Parts: sequence; structure tokens; C-alpha cells
Amino acid sequence: MEQTATETPRNVFSCQLCGLSTSYTYYGQKPPNTRAIVLLEECFVAKDPFSPDKEKFLVLGSACSLCNMCVCVGPDCSLFYTKRFCMQCVKKHLDQFPHQIRAELAKKKQSSKSGVS
Amino acid sequence: MDRDRSRDGRSWDWGSPQNRAQMDEIFFREQDYIQAGCTEHKEFWAFFDRFQRFKAKREMSGSGIRDDVKEKIRSGSEKVDLGLPKEYDARYRINVSVCTGDIEKRVRKSDPRSRQRSSGPGPQEVSDCRLALLHFLDFSQKQSFGKLAKLRREQKNLPIFQYRDRIVELVRRHPVIVVAGDTGCGKSTQVPQYLLSAGFSHIACTQPRRIACISLAKRVSFESLNQYGSKVGYQIRFETSRTAATKLLFLTEGLLLRQIQQDKILDQYQVVIVDEVHERHLHCDFLLGVLRSLLAERPDLRLILMSATINIKLFSEYFRSAPVLQVPGRLFPIQVIYQPIPPEEQPSRSEKLDPRPYLRILQGIDQRYPPEERGDLLLFLSGVAEISNIQEACQVYATHTRRWIVLPLHSTLSLAQQDKVFDVSPPGVRKCIISTNIAETSVTIDGVRFVVDSGKVKEMSFDPKAKMQRLQEFWISRASSEQRKGRAGRTGPGVCYRLYSESDYNAFAPYPVPEIHRVALDSLVLQMKSMDLGDPLSFVFIDPPPTASIQTAVTYLKEQGALDSRGELTSIGKLLAQLPVDVVIGKMLVLGSLFNLVEPVLTIAAALSVQSPFLRSSQQNPDCKTSCQPLHSNQGDPFTLLNTFNAWVEVKGERGGGSRKWCRRRGLEEQRLYEMVNLRRQFKNLLRSHGLLESEDTAPSSGDREQRRERFTERKKLHQLKRDHEQQEGTKRKVLRLEEGGEFSSGSDSEDRGRGRKSKEGQGQEVDIQEVKFKLRHNVSELQEAVGASQDLSSRHQALLKLLLCRGLYPQLALPDEHNTTRKDSDQVFHTRNKQGVVMHPTSVFASDPEVLHVPEDEPRETGPDRRDSSRHQLLAFVTLLETNKPYLSNCVRVPALQALLLVANSVDTNADCTRLVVDGWLELEVREPEEALRVLSRALSLRSEWERLLKAQLGQSATSGQGVSRRDMEKLSDGLVRFLLYTEVSYSLQRITALQTQNLYVGPQADPDSVYSELPDLSLLFPGAEAKPDPIKGGLRVTSFFTYNCLADSKDLYSECLRTFWSCPNCDLYMPLTPLERMHHEASCRPAGERQEAEEESGDGKSGSSGKSSLTRVYHCDVCDEDLKLTSTEILKHKRQHTFSAK
Repeated sequence: MEQTATETPRNVFSCQLCGLSTSYTYYGQKPPNTRAIVLLEECFVAKDPFSPDKEKFLVLGSACSLCNMCVCVGPDCSLFYTKRFCMQCVKKHLDQFPHQIRAELAKKKQSSKSGVS
Repeated sequence: MDRDRSRDGRSWDWGSPQNRAQMDEIFFREQDYIQAGCTEHKEFWAFFDRFQRFKAKREMSGSGIRDDVKEKIRSGSEKVDLGLPKEYDARYRINVSVCTGDIEKRVRKSDPRSRQRSSGPGPQEVSDCRLALLHFLDFSQKQSFGKLAKLRREQKNLPIFQYRDRIVELVRRHPVIVVAGDTGCGKSTQVPQYLLSAGFSHIACTQPRRIACISLAKRVSFESLNQYGSKVGYQIRFETSRTAATKLLFLTEGLLLRQIQQDKILDQYQVVIVDEVHERHLHCDFLLGVLRSLLAERPDLRLILMSATINIKLFSEYFRSAPVLQVPGRLFPIQVIYQPIPPEEQPSRSEKLDPRPYLRILQGIDQRYPPEERGDLLLFLSGVAEISNIQEACQVYATHTRRWIVLPLHSTLSLAQQDKVFDVSPPGVRKCIISTNIAETSVTIDGVRFVVDSGKVKEMSFDPKAKMQRLQEFWISRASSEQRKGRAGRTGPGVCYRLYSESDYNAFAPYPVPEIHRVALDSLVLQMKSMDLGDPLSFVFIDPPPTASIQTAVTYLKEQGALDSRGELTSIGKLLAQLPVDVVIGKMLVLGSLFNLVEPVLTIAAALSVQSPFLRSSQQNPDCKTSCQPLHSNQGDPFTLLNTFNAWVEVKGERGGGSRKWCRRRGLEEQRLYEMVNLRRQFKNLLRSHGLLESEDTAPSSGDREQRRERFTERKKLHQLKRDHEQQEGTKRKVLRLEEGGEFSSGSDSEDRGRGRKSKEGQGQEVDIQEVKFKLRHNVSELQEAVGASQDLSSRHQALLKLLLCRGLYPQLALPDEHNTTRKDSDQVFHTRNKQGVVMHPTSVFASDPEVLHVPEDEPRETGPDRRDSSRHQLLAFVTLLETNKPYLSNCVRVPALQALLLVANSVDTNADCTRLVVDGWLELEVREPEEALRVLSRALSLRSEWERLLKAQLGQSATSGQGVSRRDMEKLSDGLVRFLLYTEVSYSLQRITALQTQNLYVGPQADPDSVYSELPDLSLLFPGAEAKPDPIKGGLRVTSFFTYNCLADSKDLYSECLRTFWSCPNCDLYMPLTPLERMHHEASCRPAGERQEAEEESGDGKSGSSGKSSLTRVYHCDVCDEDLKLTSTEILKHKRQHTFSAK
């Protein structure tokens, strides 16, 4: 029993902000079978589980370019703007981000607040 | 994007297919991530159009530039420079890039012509397209990731999630654990996943219902991100998605039991999860017992019981105080309102249910809750009659208020009608679902806010004394009551109206009676025997069934010949234990395999094992009734089913998809026919694997290469259709229309009206998934061939088939009451051995045509007030005897009484001259002529012993691989049986033995038997293998296991057995005075002259010539030529066709 439990050591990606965890199959910028497609950051990549096509990939997350924390690509945990930033770093350096992004974040904050109350 | 754009002085039309094709050559080549022609490719171009529109809007509003100015100002004053670009571009938010530079160059070079004409894409167009592609990729990534995140969020929110590690740890440390949690805690979907991700593999998870196996496998494979793999699979009776890669398998309890039957220590699994153990189904209770004893041999096996929070202690203690993990459920608060029915509205015994209490609740809801507050109502009643009664009343109210759609829900509805309860009602309208207890556990409907509980349930019980099933109404248990209440709080707070008082509730039994205490245990005991579980009485059940119940089953199995006198499995019993059907149906299959009647027997056995395809509701519809008429057979209901199946297969072969319409017109539920065809094949395989059926030799011969290729491509297409269907399945629910509730009773017709429009629109696209699965599983032309063999049975085959059914069904026989001729059609009465005064179920062919059972009026010669002599007495062999408001017989077949009894009965007792016969101690037959009586009896005895011999040989065949049954012997026997059945013209009376008669039925043991029987010939010669000796109880002489001679206490002289009368043998020249026994003896050993000659020939040269072609032929009686012909099946068809052509 214990053998089989350890038999398949799996690479598990875990978001350090939201805790989302799922196994990944590739880490890097060029997932297999992606041809002309290149990722602009080193990513944790899995096969897209919602596509019947075996070759479709899904980017799960990557490391924040500033603090190096592992974060998922969910909009609550990180954003990509030429580089990956975790939400904590985004908040810290919010003023360096363009207006569009700031407006968007403010709007999201508001809607999530009203959603809770 | 039809508008042209002007760039570089050229116009480029994005809407033109040629232009798009040029783009495809750059971005969507065959080796690319997205290929032209695939789904994503189509999605991309749709996305592209939206994207271009969006961009155009953006440009017009001219946003963007202003912000960049601000940006520049800000970025100057920062400590840490993130190095972000100065100008905002949405493109920077995408972490993907597409490199196509090389191809673009090549395209430009290789196609100079297009360049000259400047019709190819310029760099701007290419970059536009690339940008759109990037956004598209980003969009699909976000979409998929969103799904994943949502999934994980939902899993995390389930009450069971916080117990995740604890569960895994408990499983690691204990062989057995109990996980108890109420509805909505997520145990069924999550526990298997926790084990999977903890590294366990080879997990089996049982479910009481097939449908749950499929839906859980689907859900769990989705949740464990293996939707398109086979890591998670299911296996049910006819379907499996299991592969070598499957780690988690959902299967039915019955199927796991069958697997244990094959694989005693269940090597194939590491973990077994038994879900819904609290439901206490027969199979589940038994499975727990089997697993409990298996644990000793498999200390490494992990067993997890999952239950609602009902009676948990029972399960834990059964497994040596296994640890229990209790998980809170997730239900919204439910208000309980007790509204006992006032006495003046209580239904009296015979009356219909008073709808007023139910209508008041509907009214109350309408008054109290605004229609825009959604929430449907679920009403629990005990049975179908009650449902249609209340439905009618509610429908009147609904039509008036236009605020309700009333829908019935019970298992005898067509599947399409059952499915309607999942559709959504239009705004302002509520569904009122009136259901049996099927909605308590089996069917879960979301969106229910109000529950009305009548507190009643109809439950099947078994009366071992009358050998009868009984469907009775009971108060429900507190556990059921809570379960029903819980249905109101699945999606939000709810209300439960209980139509009984709180004190009633408190008086309810705590739990429902487990199935094992209610049903006949024949199949269970048989299975236990075949699994070597020892004495069923000492088996440790979680809640042992009554001893009497097991004993009844053992006796029954002995009567059926499945167990021998010591209670061990007989060879036929071993086989029956392998067949997943009732013992009687299994017997039919085995018997059918002996004669050339396998095909029709397979069909009938399958038909009798599934629900009737004739929908109750539509049989009241005159149109359906008329169109069904040609399918009816007055030989009996199994023949009607056989005709129906055959006709359906023919339609399938001719028009494929047209069969759905064909069924609808006749009020048939096609699903049942699909079940039949699957079951039929399973039976065939089982018979084959037990050597009872020759294996098919037609496999490689099926057509030339062309045909095979055709079939292959067709299958490929079908598989694709199936996959497509599975993908889009359940994505959208239809919206009900107000009128849709208005239909009741007349199933098929209203379905046509209700759904007709939709199906017409969707014709072509709408796939009949059942048809697809059918085609994948069966070869229609092969099936047609098989069915052709059972179509238009000759009267001879029909007679033989009836005998087989009768022998299979024995001792389930019923006698028509002698006064039936004077009664109305609907008042016909029948008697079984254990139950007097039963009636015919209205669905039976004999309910509408009872005259065929009457003794012909012209023939009987009245010999006394109560005695009626005829050679046409008939009995009914029946499949079920079920008491609802009356005891009903259903699925009956009629057989000639004397012949059938002599050939199948377990006990035949006679007087000295054999003119009086008592069968099984309840039927008395008196034959007028002693001469005839002797002849018939003697013939029956020799036919029976030959039949027994061949059957033994047939059954022993697989074990000893001996010679088996020669075709010649079989044909001779079947010929003999048919002659006996059809041409025995003996006049006799038939009546039941009265209670008074039973007391003095037998002479009893004789003081000095030796003196009486001293002159007897050697009887072992007469009946091989039989030891004829005085019967210690009945008296007389026990000649064979079923025949006791001269044991009946008779007014006639006891010594008449010694009286000799002159007799001449029809076969030889013998003419001398003989006693009855001496005469039987002679007859058994003296064969007709013709036969003797044949036998000689056979031993000589006859063999070689007949074995080839003739082995495929059978005797076919052509009614047109009035000749018996020896032909093969195809020749028969040809022969028949010849007549039809010449007739035209």
C-alpha cells in the first residue's frame, strides 16, 4: 500500500496565495507540441483537462518576477504585464502600473466587496 | 467584418474565405498548435470578428493616448523601477507569443504572383491576425483556468474537504472505516478522489443504481481533471468505460458480487468503497457479508463504507467497531409544517385519495410566496394510481391559475417523460412534481423548495406461504421522512409539509425494513451456494433474514432442480448461479439450448427480465392499441413480447432510426427493447461460454474486404457521434411550456405533440444516441438472421417453446376456474397451488381474450355436476403473481394441461389403472378410458426419461467434454414431445383437490408390501436409473423420482394392479394379457419398427451423409404446401418468399 502511495511522485504546482494546487507536467517556456507558440515567462504547465485534444496546454502559474513567489494565473493572485507580478507586489508598486490596470483592480476590489456584503 | 479596409493602397476583405484561407496557411497549418478545420480554428475566426469589432469601437472612442502621458509622469519618481513600458498596450498583458516570421517570409517568396496582384496579406494584416490569435490564446487560457479554479473552489467548499487528510490517514491505518455524512457533504464524489490523489489505485466504488455509476464516473473524472482519459471509469451490466488505465471504477453492487464469484479474493482491487450502505439493498447487505469474510484473506484490502447518518453504529459494529468519521451535511434550513389530513378527507379503503389537502398546499404557496421567488414543489405519494389521481386535480388548478406545471414521476413512465422533471419552468411558474419514493434517493431534482410528504410508501414484500409478491402501502420510516424533507433544502431554505401529525411521525419506525427481510431469497441463496459460503443459515449477515425465508428459498431451489436433496448445487444449479436472472428464466435458457429454439428463448428470457416495453398509459390509447394488435399472440404474453422484439429488429434493419417513431406509434418504450437486445446478447455469451451453445463460426466470413472497411468506417463515425453526444450531454436544460403539464395518462401521443416540433427542427442533427450505441454493439443483419429463426414459428415449434417456458416456470402454474365461461371477461378467476382466487392482470393478453382458455363448449360431455371431460383443458404458466389491490397473474402462457403436467410436474400419483392422477397434491385428472390413460402415461414417462438423459448429457458436456447430445437424438425427442403435445386426444376431467380429499388422498404404507409386489417385473429396466420401491409415505410404488404408482386411495379395488387385460403392442406382434405396469414396461423397451431400422442404419453408414448439411436443417412445416420439409433457416426464408411471390 505504502509503495503505491509513493510510487507515482507527482509534480504538484501550488499557488502560495490561494492554495490552488494541481499537478503540472512541464515547467519552462516551450511546452511540448506547441509549435510556433512560445511563453514569455517560465511557467508551470499542464495538459488542458477541459479539452479533448491531448496537445492543448494550460498555464497554471509562475514565479513572481519581483519576489519569486509561486502564484497561479488567477486574477486574484497575479497579473502579467510584460512580466509576472504577484498581487502583493502589484499592490506595493501600484503606482508604476498604467492607469488601465489600476482602474481595473479598483473596480474588481469594489465588486468583490459588494459581493461579500 | 464585411467592410473593406484600405491599407497600403490595397483593400483586404477579412470576410472573404480566400483571404482567411491565406491566413490559415500562416497560422493554422497542419503542424500548428491549432489546425485549420478543427473546433478551435472555428472558434478563433468567430473570436476574430468580435475582436475586430471591439478594436474598431476602441479606435473610434480614441482612448489610450491620454493615459500614457500620465504614465510617463509617474514612472519617473519611483524607487524600484519595474521596467514597465511607457505606453500601455493590452498586448503586454499576454504571456504568449507566436513566432511565424519564417513562414511569412516563405509565403511571400513562394507566391510572387499573388504579391504582384497584391491580393495576398500584407504585413499589417498578418500582424492583425497574429494579435487576434494572441488574444484568442490568452482568452482560452483564461477560460480553462477559470474552470479549474472554480472546480477547486467548489471542492474546497464541500463540508467533507476539511476531513480530507483524516480520511486518507484512517484508510491507511484501518482495514475498515465508516464515513457517514448527509446529503450534500460530497462524500460520493470526493472520498474516491482523496484516495486517488493519495496514491491509491485499483479502487472500486459500488453504487446501488446503475445510473449513479455513470454520472459519478463522469463527475469524478471531470473533477480529477481526467475527463478525457480513462483513469476514472464505470462498469454496469452492459456497459463499461474501464480500461487498463482505470484506477477508480464505479460499479453496481450486483456486479461486484459477480466479480467476487469469479475472483474469490478480489485480487483486482486494493480499495473497495461501498456507498449508500444505509439504503440496505439486498445486494448491499450481502456484499457487506461477503467482504467481511473476505477481509480475513485479504488483510491488505481497504474497505470504506459510506452512509447517510443513519444507524451508523450497526455498520461499525458489524466490522469489529470500525472507526467512524462523521461529516456534517450541507442543507439549508427547512421549516417543517405538520398538516394532518382531517378525518372527513381521509380516504376510506376503497375510495380514491381526496385531493383537497394537496390543493390547499398549492393554494397556500400561491398566496404566501410571490411568483417571482423561484422554487418548485415535490410531492411524495405512494403509487402510480395515487399520482394520476392527484395529478388530475392539481392540473385543473394549474390550468386555472397558470402558475404551475404539473409533472408525474414514477418508474413506469417513459424515460422522456421522466426526464421532463429536470427541465426548467418559465418565470413565474413553478413545477409541481408528483412522485413516488423514486425521488427520495434515486432521482435528485435541484431547485425544489417545497416538499409535500404524504407519509406513505408502497413496498414489495414476499409472502412465502402463497408464493406471492405483495405490493402494500405502509407508513414510511422516520429516516425516509427526513430524507424526503431534505429534498427541500438542497439549493436554498425550504418548507416541508407533512400530511400527518407529529405524533404520527414519532410513532414511525426509525428505519425502513431492509430489503433482505422483505423479498424472496432464491437468487441470493443460489449465489451463496455457488460462492461456497457454506450453510446460508449460518452466514453472518449484518441483519440476518428470517430463517423461514432462507428455508423457503432452499426448498424452492430444490423444487426447481437447482439444489439436490442434500442442498448441494446441481449441474444446472451451477449454471443458473452464473446467470444474472431469476431462476425460472435461467432454466428456460438452459432448456432452450438443448433444442433448436435458442433464438426465441433468448429473446423471451430477455424480455421477461426487463420491464415491459408496453407503456401502461399508452395502452389505453385506442390508436396505440390498434397498432399493437398485430403483435399480440393469444398463446401468451411471452409470445407477444417475442413478436414485438422481432418486429422491432426488422424495423431496425429496414429503417434504422425510424424505429423510434415506430415504437412511439405503438406506445412502446424503446429503451426496454434496447435493454432486451443487450441482455439477449449477454445470455447468448453466457450459454456459449458454458458450452451450451456452439460458438459462432461466422466470424471471419462476414463479407469481403470492402464490406469490412465499410463497417469499420461506419463504426468510426458512430464512435465519433457517441463522443460528441457525451460532450454536449446535459449542457442545457429545456424550458417547459405551460401546456406541457396538461398531459397525463396518454404517454406517447402527447409526447408527439409536445416534442414534435423540436424533433422536426432538429432532425438530422439530433442524434438518437441509443440508436448509435445499438449499432456499435450489435450487427443488425446478424441480429436479423438470428431473429428470423424465431419469426413465424411453426405450430410445432410454438408447442415446444411453450413447453419449455412451462418447464422453466414450473411450479408457477395456474388453473382457470371451472365457472369462468359464465363470468364476465374482467371477472375471470384462477387458482394456483398456494393461492386461490387470483385474477389476470389487465395488461395480459388473456385479460382481453379469455375465451382461448375456456374448454370448448361443443366438446365437453357433462358427466356430472362438477365434472367436465375434455381433451382441451389448459393451464397457465406464469412469471409473476403480485398482489396489489388484488392478486394478479402476469406474463402468462397457456399450455395443454395433461401433457404439460405429465412432462414437467415433480409429483404424479396414480391409482391402479392410472385413470386417476393427482399432480403435486393439488390437481386431479381423471381419464375416462383406462386404455388411453396408460398409453399417455407410458408415453410421457419415456419422453421424460429421454429428455432428462439428453439434458444431463448437454449439461455435462462442458465438464467431461464427452460426446454431448447428438442432433439426431435431440430431433427425435423434440419430435416426440411435439407429437405428444399436439396429438394427444385423451378425454379427461381436471379439478383441484379439495381440502377434505387431501386428508385421505393416499393409501399410505402397506403392511406387507412384498406380497403385493412380488410379481413385479424388473422396473429398473423400465425406467433406467430409477429404483422402484414402495413409497414409505404415500404407499404404492415409487417408480421414478416423480411418479408413484397406485398410491391413491381409491374407491376401486386395490388389487386391480394385478389385473391383466388383453393388449396388443402397436410396434411388435405381441398380444397378451398384461398388468398396467407390465404393459408400460413393454412399451418402454419396444420401439416402433421404423425407429429400429433407423437405429440400425445409423450405426452403419448413415452418419457421414447426415452430419454435414443436415446439421443445419430443421423440420419446417409449410402450411401452404402442407408438408414437413427439412430445410436450413435461409432455405425456409426462401421457401416462404416463393409463396408470397406466387401469391401476388
